[in-house]
Amino acid sequence: MSRKRRIIMAKMGLDSHDNALRIVSKWLADGGYEVIYAGVYNSVERVLRMTIEESADALGLSFLGGEHLHYVQKLMRLLREEGLEKVKVFVGGIIPPNDVVTMKEIGVDAVFTPGTKRAEILSTIDKSMGIPEETNES
Amino acid sequence: MADKPKIEFNHLIGEKLPHFRSLSGIEYQRIYGRKDWDKVLPDAAEYPFTRGIHRDMYRGRLWTRRQQSGFGSPEESNELLKYLLKIGQTGINIDSDIGTKLGLDPDYPLAQGDVGLQGTSMCTYEDMVTLFSDIPLDRISSTLIFPPPSSSVLMGQYLLMAKERGIPWENLIGTIMNCPFTQLVGPTFQANTAFFPIDLALKIGLDLIEFLIPRAPKWNILNVNSRNIRESGVDAVQEAAFVLALGTDYIDRLCKRGVNVDSIARRIGFFSAVHLDLFEEVAKFRAMRRIWARTLKERFGAKDEKSMWFRVAVQTSSLTLTAQEPMNNIVRAAIQTLAAILGGVQSVHTTSYDEAYCLPTEATQKLAIRTQQIIAYETGVTKSVDPLGGSYLVEKLTDELEDRIWELIKVIEQQGGFIECFKEGWVEKELNQARYKLAEQIETAELPVVGLNLFRDEGGAAEIDIFKQAPDMQAKRIEYVKNYRKNRNQEPVRQALKNLYNRVRKEPHKDLVIPILEAVEARATLQEICDVMREASDFSIPQ
Repeated sequence: MSRKRRIIMAKMGLDSHDNALRIVSKWLADGGYEVIYAGVYNSVERVLRMTIEESADALGLSFLGGEHLHYVQKLMRLLREEGLEKVKVFVGGIIPPNDVVTMKEIGVDAVFTPGTKRAEILSTIDKSMGIPEETNES
Repeated sequence: MADKPKIEFNHLIGEKLPHFRSLSGIEYQRIYGRKDWDKVLPDAAEYPFTRGIHRDMYRGRLWTRRQQSGFGSPEESNELLKYLLKIGQTGINIDSDIGTKLGLDPDYPLAQGDVGLQGTSMCTYEDMVTLFSDIPLDRISSTLIFPPPSSSVLMGQYLLMAKERGIPWENLIGTIMNCPFTQLVGPTFQANTAFFPIDLALKIGLDLIEFLIPRAPKWNILNVNSRNIRESGVDAVQEAAFVLALGTDYIDRLCKRGVNVDSIARRIGFFSAVHLDLFEEVAKFRAMRRIWARTLKERFGAKDEKSMWFRVAVQTSSLTLTAQEPMNNIVRAAIQTLAAILGGVQSVHTTSYDEAYCLPTEATQKLAIRTQQIIAYETGVTKSVDPLGGSYLVEKLTDELEDRIWELIKVIEQQGGFIECFKEGWVEKELNQARYKLAEQIETAELPVVGLNLFRDEGGAAEIDIFKQAPDMQAKRIEYVKNYRKNRNQEPVRQALKNLYNRVRKEPHKDLVIPILEAVEARATLQEICDVMREASDFSIPQ
């Protein structure tokens, strides 16, 4: 592999429930990704700026309080406007079933709701990023 | 992969638990007996209050049913409060949206997407009046979930409202949470420090306490939130040690200001989590009562027994709830509510089963209240005080937890106390370690969660009603505050804000509550008041 895939992990807006952001960031780092931990209280603009500055391959965004569509809709629009459609977008958190459908319709690559196992998160992201599955699983 | 559940199902060996440790890692013995515990217990209401702070406990008075509530606009939340009171809630617990907690108005760009989502959107004096319309401030106790600096502004609005309704402040009953370290998802560093200088927030909280003590003698001035600590993934020992160390820090700082310990301690309360390890949770509450009592009596020399009372409200854990088969959460919440009652707590919020999807709907809130009413009126567990007292297991576990909590408190105090540990990043490190460990335990099913890592049914999605906000709620709130600022008498606002700025800038050691109240009275908004204090401290906030 030429370089590690780079993923920005962030929460946008004011919700700061960051248990999952911390945990999944660690899982991704352990799973071979270069994680840029942007933490909480990000605006869409800040995440976009970081995506460009860091040449990120993917974004991992976590939500809890019902603010997910507000932010993700705006983010997807700005990514398109900047010609960054190649950047993969993964969303996790408390997302009602109908909104999972909406997110996928607007281009989110995968949505992980509570209780998703580590293996599933990693294999979904790997696949989406074109990383071949490990062959020597024990 | 290493995430195969360790639990085996085999009709030859039978079904077996993976281990016999408690959630905090204490090994449960096969059986407990006299050799494990052979002491005499003081009665309830007797020091150190192991069996409860009141002699009659729930025989004298049931706990307060206090569901946290608030969403959308103050108008909508006022309707919800009245609904909850109608179906049997006995106290109010008003939660604001995050912007309000952080001292932001709804039109601040980074606040707009969260307006009204996790609580009521509040920013003006008129919002407070609307929220409490038709609610008797001197007959129903209200808990206001605000950390400083917002606590001082919103408490100011509340006091002004009482004054204008002709209710003397000495008759007000309720609580202001008022802790700047635990109100935003537990004591995580970034969450609590990004929008206001933490030392100034602490000072404002203490100023507010000093202001309220002589003026509103029935009002509770501080409530330290260990539920949020616990929900970030730590165990019962850490939860108890962190919050008791923090409580000690507060008393210590107030005493150093020259306040008499007996005038404040009896008006400080705690807000705790209840998890599923039933006996450990019961033991936790009993141990916390002992530790707090001893701290107040021996360390601070409190004379009044009420100063030594560990008074605690609880909310059942959200961390234990699953999105898978959400109805299972009803059972979890009921058991946790029972644990809280067996532990002798003062008020309860039973978490709704739909929390892994959305804010609770009216129906799920009603079910939560009914859960408490069934335990209160039908099960009989309330008919005798401390019904588990004298159980070898519970007494031994109480002793063991108490020892472990004291040990961890010592570790914290050796580093200068909880507040110092928070500022130095020690707390953050502990939280993150706990989170990683918890995630690992769930992954490996070392912590069994039915429907999630055990007996998981990958069938269809859950059928659940989703709480929906009014579609134009956020836009309306943003519009409202913009117009509000335009259409008031500007001169008093300008003057009051200038005075507050000068006080923070030039006389930082003097009281800040009175200039804040003057700004409230002049009709400055929440963020305007917080912003001048930020400016005066050269503090900038996330854009």
